[in-house]
Amino acid sequence: MVATGLLDHPFKEGYAARLGALPGAAHAWIDGLRQTARGILNASGLPGPKNEAWKFTPLGELSKIPFIPAATADDIDVREVPRGVPSIPGAQRVVLVNGVVNTALSDPLDALPGLRIESFKQLLVREPQTLKPFLGGIASSGALPLAALNAAYMADGLVIMTAKNFAGATLHIVSIGAAGAEPLAFHPRNIIALETGARLTVVETHIGLPGQSYLANPVTEISLADNASLRRYVSVAEDADAFHFATTSVALAAHSSFETFHLGLGGAKVRQEVRAALNGAGADCCMNGVYALTAKQHHDLTTVVEHHVPHGTSSQLVKGVVDGQSHGVFQGRIHVARDAQKTDARQLHKALFLSKGPEVDCKPELEIFADDVQCAHGAATGELDREHLFYLMARGLDRDTARALLVAGFLDEAVATISDENVRAVFSDMVNGWLKRRGV
Amino acid sequence: MALIDIKDLHVSVQGKDILKGISLSIEAGEVHAIMGPNGTGKSTLSNIIAGRDGYDIKSGSVTYDGQDLLAMEPDVRARAGVFLAFQYPVEIPGVSTSAFLKSAINTKRRAEGKPEIDAMEFLKLVKAKNKALGIPDDMIKRPLNVGFSGGEKKRAEVLQMTLLEPRFAVLDETDSGLDIDALKVVSDGVNALRGATRAFLVITHYQRLLNYIVPDHVHVMAGGRIVKSGGKDLAHELEAEGYAKYLAAA
Ligand SMILES: Nc1ncnc2c1ncn2[C@@H]1O[C@H](COP(=O)(O)OP(=O)(O)OP(=O)(O)O)[C@@H](O)[C@H]1O
Ligand SMILES: [Mg+2]
Repeated sequence: MVATGLLDHPFKEGYAARLGALPGAAHAWIDGLRQTARGILNASGLPGPKNEAWKFTPLGELSKIPFIPAATADDIDVREVPRGVPSIPGAQRVVLVNGVVNTALSDPLDALPGLRIESFKQLLVREPQTLKPFLGGIASSGALPLAALNAAYMADGLVIMTAKNFAGATLHIVSIGAAGAEPLAFHPRNIIALETGARLTVVETHIGLPGQSYLANPVTEISLADNASLRRYVSVAEDADAFHFATTSVALAAHSSFETFHLGLGGAKVRQEVRAALNGAGADCCMNGVYALTAKQHHDLTTVVEHHVPHGTSSQLVKGVVDGQSHGVFQGRIHVARDAQKTDARQLHKALFLSKGPEVDCKPELEIFADDVQCAHGAATGELDREHLFYLMARGLDRDTARALLVAGFLDEAVATISDENVRAVFSDMVNGWLKRRGV
Repeated sequence: MALIDIKDLHVSVQGKDILKGISLSIEAGEVHAIMGPNGTGKSTLSNIIAGRDGYDIKSGSVTYDGQDLLAMEPDVRARAGVFLAFQYPVEIPGVSTSAFLKSAINTKRRAEGKPEIDAMEFLKLVKAKNKALGIPDDMIKRPLNVGFSGGEKKRAEVLQMTLLEPRFAVLDETDSGLDIDALKVVSDGVNALRGATRAFLVITHYQRLLNYIVPDHVHVMAGGRIVKSGGKDLAHELEAEGYAKYLAAA
């Protein structure tokens, strides 16, 4: 492993060197993945405003923060799960602190037959061949600068694998970010692989403890075999000074289905990037989300849906409310390859301004090369409808209550699409909690 | 003292004079009806009473229960007992009808210093009212007015009225869109509320409604003015003769 000055870019001097030997370094192909990623980082650095995919969320400022690798911060001791973490009925809980699996705070990891939950670190060392079909193959460092940053430094994370026709379970992954005296960064790598016909629900809560800034840079690679069905519900409410850049790449085989929901409630700068490749015919992908921003928060939801084969369906409904001087970004690319006939792809983004200060950028991109497809996309931004407000007030609701009801209603149209009842209720509570705290 | 007293009200919208000196006084216990051609300012008057903005009130006054109604915010008016059943109720996606109804009822209860309604009591109350108005219980689970048929919207307006028990209610063409049975059911709902402490202003194009909700006074509005007032027989006369002679006068 080489660690020269340039390789440390953009973080604190000696970032890579401080990490020492990363797990799995003894395996040539893993070391190769890391070297390649570092090469890419050295060549292009972190994405700035000239990078088209990142023009609304440039990361130049990161290089000014002297992040240290989380693993080298020895002044952090998280002994309990923060109060803001919801409890998901019937879910098995796995807790990561700064990207590292924390067994003390987690439920036993081997409780269910047909479901394997392992620490990425342990698999890297013990049986890396298990990871080979997935690692770096679904989220490629070449195309994704933050995935490259992750690959260069990945050390732990979660690996979740099911047996064929696994009948279903709910996992709740709680990711806690906590910095000590120095700002820190962590790059967890997660792999979720569902075998043929398997079903699984994964809820992710990303939350932070107040303190120094931290950077969470998780990459999740998801493989869905034929007829597999994954529901993944992610909420991000990081600490006010924290950065969170999450990349998720999903490969869908025939007739598999992927339902995801991304809730963005904060952090200083957050990007949730979700990429789905419909590789097998008849796959279905539903990627919805809500963001609610205030103060100077920046939140970017970027989606890419690639229809490679016929009869795929994809739908996206994203709703945002923005207040203060916040900045919301939605980028959604739908790519329909020439062979992907009979594709049905839909996308709708709506943002609601609660004041004059915020900014919203929306960039839908349709690249359609097949001729027999149904594609629809729409985007709208605006303020609360005065007629709606008047109607509610004419029934006696005071202005604040009426506004809150309307904003909640606006967001609820998206939240209501969550098909898991328990999760829907929890996410709805989180959104309403945000609205209450804001006093919208 | 009249419950509501409108004096020489002049209103314009975007530079166009709509109401050109309306005076109307309604005592508690009375039902008044207004009839008049399209575009004559009936809904404008209703909206002014409810407190919708966007109107230029040039002169005149509206006094409700001794207070300057025009100085009050719409929600304050509603909590004071003013209700408008809209001619065109807006659809509000995402807001469930039942959550809204509950919020509206509790707002009123709080204003009256009463305890909030609990979930069971609320369901029982709404079910009973639904039954009386021929509203399927499922309807209130849907977003407010969204996809409701024309008649369903009107029934939902009356449902809200019966739940909120206003002291002064304006019904702006609540009968249009209602089928014959619904007309009866909705009228029964209104009549059940009639009493010595309440007053109604019923706006309609059809005399038929006034067979069910029998008014104490009928007014003809044309060209932004009340051009004729009379008893309930005036409605029959209008039905037979139309507005031609009043239009000429206006
Ligand atoms: N916002 C507005 N801008 C311009 N003109 C308006 C506006 N609102 C109302 N008007 C006009 O004011 C006049 C009165 O309208 P209003 O809705 O009060 O009539 P109405 O008597 O209720 O009619 P109808 O019987 O058809 O319901 C109409 O000519 C209408 O076009
Ligand atoms: Mg009208």
